[in-house]
Parts: sequence; structure tokens; C-alpha cells
Amino acid sequence: MNKEKKDFDSVLFAQAMDEHLSSLRYASMIQRSLMPDTSFLSGILKDHFIFYLPKDYVSGDFYYAYQNAGYTVIAAGDCTGHGVPGALLSILGISFLNEILQSRDIPRANRILNRMREKVMGALDQRGQDYEQKDSIDIALCVYESYRSVIQFAGANRPLIMVSDGEMKEVKPDKMPIGIAPFEEVSFTNHRIEVKEGDRFYMFSDGYPDQFSEETNKKFKIKNFRQLIDYVSGWSMDRQKAHIESIFYDWKGRTVQVDDVLVMGFEI
Amino acid sequence: MRLRAFRIENFRSIVDTGIQTISPDNITCLIGQNESGKTSILEALEVFSSGVISEDVLRSDLSLPRVTCSFEVPKNYLEDKLRSVNNDFDKLVKSLNQITLVRSWKADLKSQIDIGGELLEYIEGLNKKRKKELNDTKKKIEKFYSELKERRGKKKALSAELNEIQVKLDEHPARRSILKLFRRRKANVKDDDENTISELTESFEKIRSQLEVINSFLEEKGSLIKAIEDWLKTVNALDSINKRLDEISARLEERHQTMTLLTGPSIADLSRGEWEKVLNEYKSAINEKEKLEKDYELKILLCGFIFDDLSEEKARRKLQEIEKERSLEYQSKELGEILYADCPHFEIFEDFGSLLPNRIDMEDLISDNQSVEGYKAARNFLILADLDYTFFQQPSSRILKQKIENLNAKLTLDFQDFWQQYVGRHNKIRINFELDHYSTTHGEKAGKPYLEFWVKDEGERLYPKQRSRGVRWFLSFYLELMAASKKEKRQLILLVDEPGVSLHARAQEDVLKVFEDIKDDMQVIYTTHSPHLVDINKLHRILAVQRDDVANHRSTTVILDAARLGDASPDTLSPLQSIMGNPVGNQEFSADKYNIIVNNVGTFYMMNAIMKLTGYKGKIHFIPSTDASSIPLMCNILMGWGMKFAVLLFYNEKEMEIARQLEKMMFTDQPGKNENIIIMPEEFVNAEDLLSTLDFKNLVLKTRQGITISNSEHVNINDLPRNFLLSKFLGEVKNGNVTRDDLDEESKENLVLLVNILQRFK
Repeated sequence: MNKEKKDFDSVLFAQAMDEHLSSLRYASMIQRSLMPDTSFLSGILKDHFIFYLPKDYVSGDFYYAYQNAGYTVIAAGDCTGHGVPGALLSILGISFLNEILQSRDIPRANRILNRMREKVMGALDQRGQDYEQKDSIDIALCVYESYRSVIQFAGANRPLIMVSDGEMKEVKPDKMPIGIAPFEEVSFTNHRIEVKEGDRFYMFSDGYPDQFSEETNKKFKIKNFRQLIDYVSGWSMDRQKAHIESIFYDWKGRTVQVDDVLVMGFEI
Repeated sequence: MRLRAFRIENFRSIVDTGIQTISPDNITCLIGQNESGKTSILEALEVFSSGVISEDVLRSDLSLPRVTCSFEVPKNYLEDKLRSVNNDFDKLVKSLNQITLVRSWKADLKSQIDIGGELLEYIEGLNKKRKKELNDTKKKIEKFYSELKERRGKKKALSAELNEIQVKLDEHPARRSILKLFRRRKANVKDDDENTISELTESFEKIRSQLEVINSFLEEKGSLIKAIEDWLKTVNALDSINKRLDEISARLEERHQTMTLLTGPSIADLSRGEWEKVLNEYKSAINEKEKLEKDYELKILLCGFIFDDLSEEKARRKLQEIEKERSLEYQSKELGEILYADCPHFEIFEDFGSLLPNRIDMEDLISDNQSVEGYKAARNFLILADLDYTFFQQPSSRILKQKIENLNAKLTLDFQDFWQQYVGRHNKIRINFELDHYSTTHGEKAGKPYLEFWVKDEGERLYPKQRSRGVRWFLSFYLELMAASKKEKRQLILLVDEPGVSLHARAQEDVLKVFEDIKDDMQVIYTTHSPHLVDINKLHRILAVQRDDVANHRSTTVILDAARLGDASPDTLSPLQSIMGNPVGNQEFSADKYNIIVNNVGTFYMMNAIMKLTGYKGKIHFIPSTDASSIPLMCNILMGWGMKFAVLLFYNEKEMEIARQLEKMMFTDQPGKNENIIIMPEEFVNAEDLLSTLDFKNLVLKTRQGITISNSEHVNINDLPRNFLLSKFLGEVKNGNVTRDDLDEESKENLVLLVNILQRFK
């Protein structure tokens, strides 16, 4: 009797899991469809690669691209948590970005993040109270003004790595998220970078540097990630992606992927 | 009749107000600082009706007051009122729809009403014409008279000469010889003697003939000469009466100086009887002068007719005819008095402080004990109820009670009719009074009658004192107003000095509503400092009163009408500024800066904060409107005052509509291009949008709540106290708690944008 019951339960559980997984798969498809596809990115960027590896079916990491006559916006975001909660927040983030960029404001990277923060705080009803959710988005966002050969960058806890003439520079982000800040929300900084053709830029979530190694049980770390970028930056984007991907899998080995992973590289 | 304009001369601080047109909608509001002369204007209008002034209204130069009022008259009123005089006069009367009356005071402080305006012009024109004719006649007569004197002199000289010749002839020897010869027939006269006699006789005849001519002239002109000599007697009498009047006037002026300046020559010591005698002498001299002047004129006319060869009889007949015609004519005084009798009466209401008491002793009312609380209100009540004290002597208490009940019902109905919209809940206020007697517990008063008042409202019986001060004020106002109109049978013009000064702002607004309510029956002129008693949409009602030199309270009073309000001082205009929302005491319209009108007070605060934050030094001056819909009105005012101004509009539906209106209404020369209309870019729906959301949250709202819409939308949707928040923000900017460095680059960029827009007014 007990055995029959157990079998029945396991069948029900398996069925529920199956339904659940198929929902997640579908959700994953939806999430992916909200992010720009390769052909769109190829159209607006000279070259690019995206290493996007959700920990689960759906991801808290997302990448974003938008273009109009005057400028192109590229962003890589990392929502707190992963899985479904992260994915929901990422979808909010994408829709907020769309909303903001469709207004007629002059595009300023920091203003986009300022407005995005208002929207996230509004949506999550964050008012600086102790009991409320502290969910937020970390994001690196670039506004490329091709006619001026300028990239504006603003970062919420996520930096921008830039390689120009073989020299790598990191543009530091503001140490605050898109969401309620620990003490006070201040304006994000707008970095204005003069660029030229062939310059390469990298934005990434913390999933890659935070990944533990099977062999050493240590994190990959940002320092090594920078070295990796520096090492591969001269290569073609496809090769860069392949190398970054293979290094990640080698490093991780058979350990669990700790977080969603997103590495995005592009050339102008 | 309706008052349309007034002019006051030489009354307290007023030298000459010029003709001041009052509001055509019957409510005129005098605004101005204390001691500007507002009350003097009301007093001057009041004495136009009463005619009674005291020395203290005279100015230091002792020039005598004159108050002129113009009244609109109903159609056909003048034709019906005045007798037919002649074609010209009748035609003029038919064409008039307004009359002007002038009350002027003489040295004895007695006054008279004369006609003014077109009718006076007509009378004066006629008088001038007649005066000219009289002067022409007078000149002719004077010329004649001078010839007459010459002839009379000549006659005298000739007569003397004739006498002399006669004597010579009589005494001449030859003449004597001839005479002797005639008597004695002795002819011893020499030839030369004969010659001399002949010459003398010839001269004698010649002179005699000349004398005959003169005599015949004098005889012929006898009537004229008689008339002229009669006229000359009148001239002499007039001279002497004028001298007498000068003397009396000097005495009167001396007395005025004594009374007003307290510099006391002996005239002040005259006893009352002696002083009366002086005044009577003055009056009789004036009357005598008037009579003599009339005589003088008629006598000249008579001389003129005789001079023009009419016989004396015919001349006198003609004169009689003229006298008859002229007796039909109106003189300014007569006309003034006739028309004044139908003019509305100015009644000044200075104080409604006497509020209806809960109870008042009949003894106090009968003995006129004015010091008892509520005496005036209670007395007014009795007047209104048509009661005198005998009413309460009704022996039957049942009949008395019934009568009182009937009266209460009538009074209440009257009151509700008058105040139905404005007093009490659901218009159900009832005024009641009752006669009662003190019980034995009241000691000395036991058994004495008293009147008790109460106000019933929806079944609640409350003593007046239990009602709000506003209701009591209205009641007293009503009682005083109605009692006055009952006493005064003529139409009233209500002069109210500082109405409802102690009332709450809302109650003050109700006073204005009361004026609105009665304005069709009674014109109202009132003074006020309160913005709640000025209707901003009816600026035509305003007359601004101020001193000619605003810094000098001894300078003369001037009145500025709505079109000239721009010349008024900021203090004078303070009620207007308050209404229009100007919140900061030292902010006012600026004559030498660009006045930038903004939609409301909140924006005004914001703009001032921005000016402080940016350190903008342009010659601009922000003026807040009460709200966007008042902007065209403000533009009208500033345009009327000839001030430089522009309008700063934010990108919202209401203000875009205002922009269209302004382009149509005011800036028609360059539609769509006028630089005086500044329209902010579309991201700025209101002034707070000039700050980034972050700065708005951090510096104005002091909240961390995420705002996903524009600042202005957030304020509207959440019904936030915008004025308060922006005023606080301005305060912090002024205190230095918020500086430019506290703003993010988005706010800074917006402020730079605004400042660049405003550069054109620098």
C-alpha cells in the first residue's frame, strides 16, 4: 500500500515537475525573446559576442540594445537573485528601459539609469524602510553617439571595460544599484568617452568572476576576468566568445554554476 | 438716480480729486493705506448730502470745500421735472441723461447746491452772452454819460459866459444911454460904444443859441439821463454792499483762523449773540447784493432800450417782458435745489460694532441710554419694526404678545428676503424679540420690562451672543441699513468704512456678496484694506487712494482709477497684490523691471529659488497669478499700467490654451512670434519639472519613494501641498541649505536652459 502510494506520489510529482519545467522553458523563451537577437545586434554593432548562460531556465541577467537615428544604447544587467525572481525583475528592467528610451529626453546614460531607478523603486514600492524588499538591478549601460564618436557610460555597480589600441581601461561604476540605495540615492555619473573605430567594449554580470572552480574551490575573481579580457581582446569576437566560454567551463568543471553568467563584448 | 462720478475739492487732505467715475455696476471700492484719505472721501460724499461741515475739514489755506456729484437720471425725468423755459433749454434738457450737482460752502460754512455740468454751461453761456450785451450797453451808456457830463460842463460854462455878457451889457454906458434915451430920449452914444454893444449882443445870442442846443439835447435825452442816474445809484449801492461784504468776510475768515489754527485774535471772544448778529448781517448783505445785482442788470437794460430810441414807456414795457421771460429761467442754485431733492442720499456707515444684545431694558431704550450694550442695534430694531415705546404700553398682555408674534414673523420674512443666500443654514434664520419682565430674583430690576432677542435656526433657539460674530455682524448691518433706509425716504447710497474689519476672511467675502446682493437697489462705496473685499475680476470697481507724496502724510490725497492703478504705490495696491497671490511682502509690480507673470504662487517660489540658485542678475521680476486662468487678466492690468511684462508658460493643456488666448487678445501684431510669451519645452509641464526627479525627491519632497512620472504629475496625482513644498524649498535656498552644488547635472542643465530663455529680458 505504502509502496503504491509512494509510486503514485512520485508520478504526481514527476508530472508537476514536468509541467513546472515546461512553464520555465516557455518563460525562458519569452525572456530570450525580450532580449535583442544576434541579427539585430549585428545590424547596430560592427561586431559583438554574447556569452549568456543562465543558471536556471530563466535568468536574472539580461542584455539590452536599442537604436534610433541619433544613438545606440547597449546594456548588460544583473538582477538580484536568479531564477524566476531575477527573471521577473529583468523583464521589468527591459520594459523600463524601453519606456525611458522612447521618451523624447536627450539621451544621457546617467539619466537613463536615474529614471530606471525611480521606476524600479516605484514598482517595488521601495521607500527606504527596513522591512521592504531590497531587490535591485546592477547594470552597465552605454549610449553610443556615432556622429560624435562618443560613448556615454553609466554603471550601477557594473563597470565597463574598454580596449583601445591594445590598451585596456576600466571605467568604474557608481557603487549603487538600480533600486533603493543603502543610504541615499544620488545621481549616477555620466562618463563621456571619446572613441574611435575598432575600439572594443566589455560589459558583464558578476556570474563569471564569482564562479567557483572545481579544482580550487575559489572564485574566478574580477582581476582574472580583466586579464582574460585583456588577453582575448585582440581576437575576433567569435574567437573571444569561444575562449571565454571554454575558460568558464574549464574553471567551473563539475561544480554548480553559482549564478547567471553574462559577458557581452562589442566593437564599434 | 444713480451716482456716476464725483469730484471733491478742498476737503481735509484732498485738494482736488478731479472727476472720479465710480463703478458702473454700483459697487466701488476704495483701497489705500491708512491716512491716505479714503475715509475723507466717504465723509466728503456724506456732507454732499448733509451739507454740514465743521472747521476741521477745512484745509490750512482755508480754501472752501466743494463736492460735485454727477447722477444718471431716468429717461424723461428732466423733461417731467423742469418747466419749459425756451427752445434751447428745453432741447438741452431733452438730450440729457446725467445731471451734475455742486455743493459749495461759503465763509460762514453754510452751503448751497448748484447745478453743474451741461446745464450750468448753458446757464453760464447765456449769462455770459447777456453779460457781454450788458457790457456793450454799459459802454455805450458810459460813453453817453461822459458826453453828457461834457455837455453839462459846457452848459455850465456857457451859462456863466452868458451871465457875464448879460452883466456887461447891462452895465455898458451906451446901453445905459440907450436905456436913458428910451427913458429920457437923449442921444449922446458914441459909435465905438455902439460897436461893442453889438459884439456883446452877438456873442450873447451865439451862446444862447448854443445853450438852447444843449438844453434841447438834455431835454430830449431826459428819460435816458434819468434812467442812467438811477442805474448809477445802484452802482454806488453795489459798491458799498461789496465793501460791507468784504469786511464781514474778513471777520469770518478771522474766526475760522481762530477756530482752526488756534491763533486767537479778539473776534473769537465775540459772544454767541454777537456772532449770530455778524452771521445775519452777512446773510442780509448777500441777499441785498443779489437784489442789487439784479437791479443793476435791469437798469442797464432799460438804459439800453432808451438809448436805442425807445420811449421810456416802451422801454419799460419791453423790460417787463424780458423780466417775465427771465422769471421762467432757472438759475444754477434753483435748478440745483430742485434736482437735488430727488437725488440719492449718501449715508455713511462707519461702524457696526453695536451688535444685537441678548436683552435690553426698556428703561434704557426710553431714556436713550446709549452707553448700554447693544443700544444702537436694539433701537434700530425698533425703528425697523415701526415701534415706538407706546407700543409696549398695550394694557392687554395677550394682544401685545400677538402683536409681537406678528411682528416677529414679518421681520423674519423681511430679513430672509434680504439675506436669504448668505446667513445661516438653509436660509431658516428667524429673528425674534419678546417683551418680558424681570423676576423677583433680579433685585431692583424686579418687575421692570426688558426686551429679549434671539435668533432661531432650524428649531434651535439661540441668543444673539450664542451665534457667530459674523451672523451678529450681519444682523447689525441689516438693522442699521434698514433702519437708515426707513428713516431716509430717499434712495440711499451706502458709504461703508472698512466693513467687516473684524470678520474672518470668509465672512468678509460674504460682506462682498451682500453688496452684490443689494447693488441693484443701493449703490455702495466702501473702503478696505482687505483682499477678501476686493473682487479681482472686477478691477473697474477699484479706486486707489494715496497721498501725492506717499512718504509724506501731510501731502494731498490723490485718487487713481483702475486704468491708472499702475501709478499707485505698492502699499496702496497691497490688497490687489494679495489677491493675485503675490505672497512675499516686499514683492510687487516693478516699473523698471520686466514683470514675468507665472501661473501661480508655487511657480513663483520655484522661480525665485532658481534665480537665487543660478545667481541670475537680469532685470526681471516674477509675478504670480492666482492660477493660469488669471494670467490674461494680469496681462491686461500690466498692459493698462504700461509696464513691461512677459508671460512664462509651462507645457500643459491649460497654459497652452492661455498662450493661444494671449496671442489672440493681446499680442496680435505678431501672432505666434511674440517674445513676451515664453513657452517652456514640452518636458516642463510645470515649474517643479525644472528639477530632476532625484533632486525634486531629495530637496523638495524629502522622500525616497520612486517617482515614475514627471514631478508635476506626481504632485497632482498625490495631491501634494505644492505651494508649501516649493515655499520651503525657496526658504532652504535662501538660507543656503540648498546650493547649486547640491543639484545634479540634469537640474543644472534645466536651469541653464531657463536662464538662457530669460536672457532676452536682461
